[in-house]
Amino acid sequence: MSPSQGPVKKLDDKFVDKIGKFVADIKNGKLKGSNNVALSMVTLLENIISESQHATAYELLSLVRSAGRRVAAALPHQLAASNVARRILRAIRDENRASANQSGEASGESLQRLVLATSARRATIGTTHHDLREPLRDHIAELRTELESSSSTVCSAAREHVHADELILTYGASALAERFLRTAASRRYKLILAEGTDVQESHAMAARLSAAGVSVTIISSAAIFAVMSRVNKVVVSVSAALGGGAALLAGGAHAVTQAAKYYSVPVLALAPLYKLCPIHASDDSHFNTLIAPTTAIPYENHEVGDVHVYTPMYDFAPPDHITLFITNLGGSSPSYMYRMLSELYDPNDYTL
Amino acid sequence: MEIDKENVVQAVVIMDTFNSHFNPIINNKPMGLLPVAGVSLINYILEALAQGGVGETILFCCQDGQKMKDYVRQCTKDKAIWSLTMDVQVKMSDTCQTMGDVMREIDAAGLIRGYFVLVGVNTVTNINFASLLEQHKQTCKKDKGAAMTLVYKKVAWEHPLISSDKPIFLAADASSNKVLIHQKYKPKSTEKKINLPLEVVLSHSEVKLHHNLADANIALCSPSVPPLFSDNFDFQTRDDFIHGILINEEILASSLYYILLKGSQYAAAVTNWKTYQTVCRDVLHNWAYPLTIESGSFSQNNFLFMGNHNFREKSCTLSRSSALLEDVLVGAKTHVNDNTVISKSVIGKNCIIGNNVTITGSHIMNNVVIKDNCKIINSFIDDNCDIENDCTIDSGTIIASNVKVETGSQLKGNILESTEKDQEKLLFKSTSESTEWDNESSGSGGDDFIGFEKNWNDSDSCYSSDSSAETSILDSPVPDDTNIFLQEVIDSLARGYEEKLKCDYLILEINSSRYAYNIQLHEVNFFVVRALLSIPVLSESKNVLSTVRNILQYFRPVLANYIKTKSSIMDCLRAVEDSCIKCEWLEGQSGLILKLLYDADVVDEDALLAWYKDLQENNSLIVNQKSLVKFFQWLEEASEESDESD
Repeated sequence: MSPSQGPVKKLDDKFVDKIGKFVADIKNGKLKGSNNVALSMVTLLENIISESQHATAYELLSLVRSAGRRVAAALPHQLAASNVARRILRAIRDENRASANQSGEASGESLQRLVLATSARRATIGTTHHDLREPLRDHIAELRTELESSSSTVCSAAREHVHADELILTYGASALAERFLRTAASRRYKLILAEGTDVQESHAMAARLSAAGVSVTIISSAAIFAVMSRVNKVVVSVSAALGGGAALLAGGAHAVTQAAKYYSVPVLALAPLYKLCPIHASDDSHFNTLIAPTTAIPYENHEVGDVHVYTPMYDFAPPDHITLFITNLGGSSPSYMYRMLSELYDPNDYTL
Repeated sequence: MEIDKENVVQAVVIMDTFNSHFNPIINNKPMGLLPVAGVSLINYILEALAQGGVGETILFCCQDGQKMKDYVRQCTKDKAIWSLTMDVQVKMSDTCQTMGDVMREIDAAGLIRGYFVLVGVNTVTNINFASLLEQHKQTCKKDKGAAMTLVYKKVAWEHPLISSDKPIFLAADASSNKVLIHQKYKPKSTEKKINLPLEVVLSHSEVKLHHNLADANIALCSPSVPPLFSDNFDFQTRDDFIHGILINEEILASSLYYILLKGSQYAAAVTNWKTYQTVCRDVLHNWAYPLTIESGSFSQNNFLFMGNHNFREKSCTLSRSSALLEDVLVGAKTHVNDNTVISKSVIGKNCIIGNNVTITGSHIMNNVVIKDNCKIINSFIDDNCDIENDCTIDSGTIIASNVKVETGSQLKGNILESTEKDQEKLLFKSTSESTEWDNESSGSGGDDFIGFEKNWNDSDSCYSSDSSAETSILDSPVPDDTNIFLQEVIDSLARGYEEKLKCDYLILEINSSRYAYNIQLHEVNFFVVRALLSIPVLSESKNVLSTVRNILQYFRPVLANYIKTKSSIMDCLRAVEDSCIKCEWLEGQSGLILKLLYDADVVDEDALLAWYKDLQENNSLIVNQKSLVKFFQWLEEASEESDESD
């Protein structure tokens, strides 16, 4: 019996309330930043698991899946939240397998056993009725530590990639990129910051970096192509890293990666692993999400009635635009991302 | 949900608009359930309030409160997102007729603990109410008397939010944003001058003038606002309040401020069919983000974006040969057949649209069936209607729910509603109304998004237009109170005419007498006209007619204030009849007086004809007067002439 085939379990009212509260917090802007969202999602799922009545693998899987599905339905753009749900699902499956193996025969690792074990992991959940909550607690704690440290781990790679007298270009404001660039501040490199859609945020970030000792030049995003030939490296933070090695970037960043490709400038994409999503370029639901056009044209003009203004939330950067993903496990090339995907998540959980 | 009661931001939502701009659609359902771009207004406002940091909301319903209550209860049961962070109470009162009554009721019930947000149900906005309210509190620290901060969005002068609504002229002190002058004009007012008193300029170092503000019906209020309404019983609308405060700033010790919204903040109010369309389009174009076509529903991403701001629900089916041109929203489970072309329209859920249908600039609600070869342009069709083959529905036709339109009907600017819900009969309202609803042909050439034009009932008329009320005022003996009232009005007007008082003050006086003697609005209309024709000057004057002309000219603003709706015009005419019978100085002059009123645009032709018919039926004393007969002959000839010249 595979829980991905059965009907979705109906959640208890108290869980529905908790999820609703979580969704409301994000919608009302109390919870911002993908890392914070991921961390509170861990807390939410931990609560749900510890309060669930049954603790068999099947029960827990259905519970976490339906919770994850509910969050994903309400917040399709908080990809980190559904990724966390997938990670926990994987942990439950692993834990179930471990306990099944233990109770069966003595564990002796052999190549044959490893190969056979995968099929057990893929398809069905054993009939064992262990209480998995205790061992899961360790997994969840581990996940939480990973999430907490992920941005510092990513940033610790900064000094490997940014060198003295290099000219680095970044696009728009991003907490992760800012931290990354600040970590490398001792290298005395030069930074060009192309204004993103939120000009004020970009300027504030430039001011903070400048105070940290980085020499920053702000350019308009229209000038990206003109300066690209002089740039040594491009650093951008991704909104989501996709399974095929592509990435979702902030709206407008496609111009950056395209120009970088033209001049063969390396593009470093900062992607902590909680941003790795099992979605592919063919799912178009995320690629044409529109937000308010106020960044492009002010509402005051009465002509707004006659024009169509498209302001996409994300830009899609194909795999060949990205040189290296910097994750918390180190750098990996776009062609290796599919592998990361199967290490982190169970294929049964790609669709929640 | 334990929240610190002291710091919770409170909001009051007035669930009615107290006007008839959306009749007959809101006769059947409350304003809050009117869908804009597929989402009910109540969902927009509740989601906006929850996202704007409001913790407690009071929905104040004057009509259909039970429906609203059920709806809110259902949403809370379904765990709508706003219901988790916000406490929503529904208050009902059937006796409230104006916004002023609502505020007095709120004051009496003591629902407000401190500063609060006051919005109308027709507001669509994405602003952060909590931070704006904080700004208002800062203003209050500087000025203890600050009663209200008005929230405006600056738009271009030609923007439909201004040009199809009442434009505002606002003068304010530049350093403190204190409002000094606030004037509302009639829509499409051709007035080219503004009056700015000299002391406004002299007493402030810098004065800002705004003419291009869109009023989103949002106000941030101090705790003093409800008591102010209670103390001043003539405050009926927010405009009365603003006006009253500005005139009597010293007496009431209150002042007003304003805030302009910044770039990404969107705010607009749905006040009539034109702004309804503008707001619809803005929502489709994502200007109100994060409010979208999916506001209020828990699961998101149910719509597919097809380019050109066309959205379709995942479960709707579109024929391969149908075309969505631009700005189209197609709801769930709707089926669109072959060769149908849709543009700039919103189609609801479970509709069936036949072959070769053209739909442009229209709003079609849920469960509507439209058969083949129909043309629907700039119209509104409510739930469960059936439109048979080959119909043409054009220029602002409004069709209420459960109507069946026969094969081959040609509708132009009509209002249709079913007489009995189960019989599904159709009723054409008096054809005269079609002219009022006619689309403005001159409107920005070729723009098929013009929308619905309507004559402007002034919003502060609280009297629900019940023109069929046969209770003839003449037959009933005049009670004492009304006699005293009439005498008082005559006195005020006579004094006003002699001393050349401002008409605004006279209106105020009449309104206070009205409350003092508890006079119905239609009676007020009647007595004001009656009083105008009974001013003592008339009985003394030699040339009665020229005096009447002068009086009418002088009291034009007073008349304009009372005589606005169809029913009030009838009141006015009845008053003329009454006067002509009772006042000897008007004997035989009725036709000439009507001519004066007609020339002054107080009464219109349709009303005159209807009234004349009434006269004939009732065998009134003046029906055979020479002047009257002559006048109606003249009127008929004039209308024939104008028909020919068309």
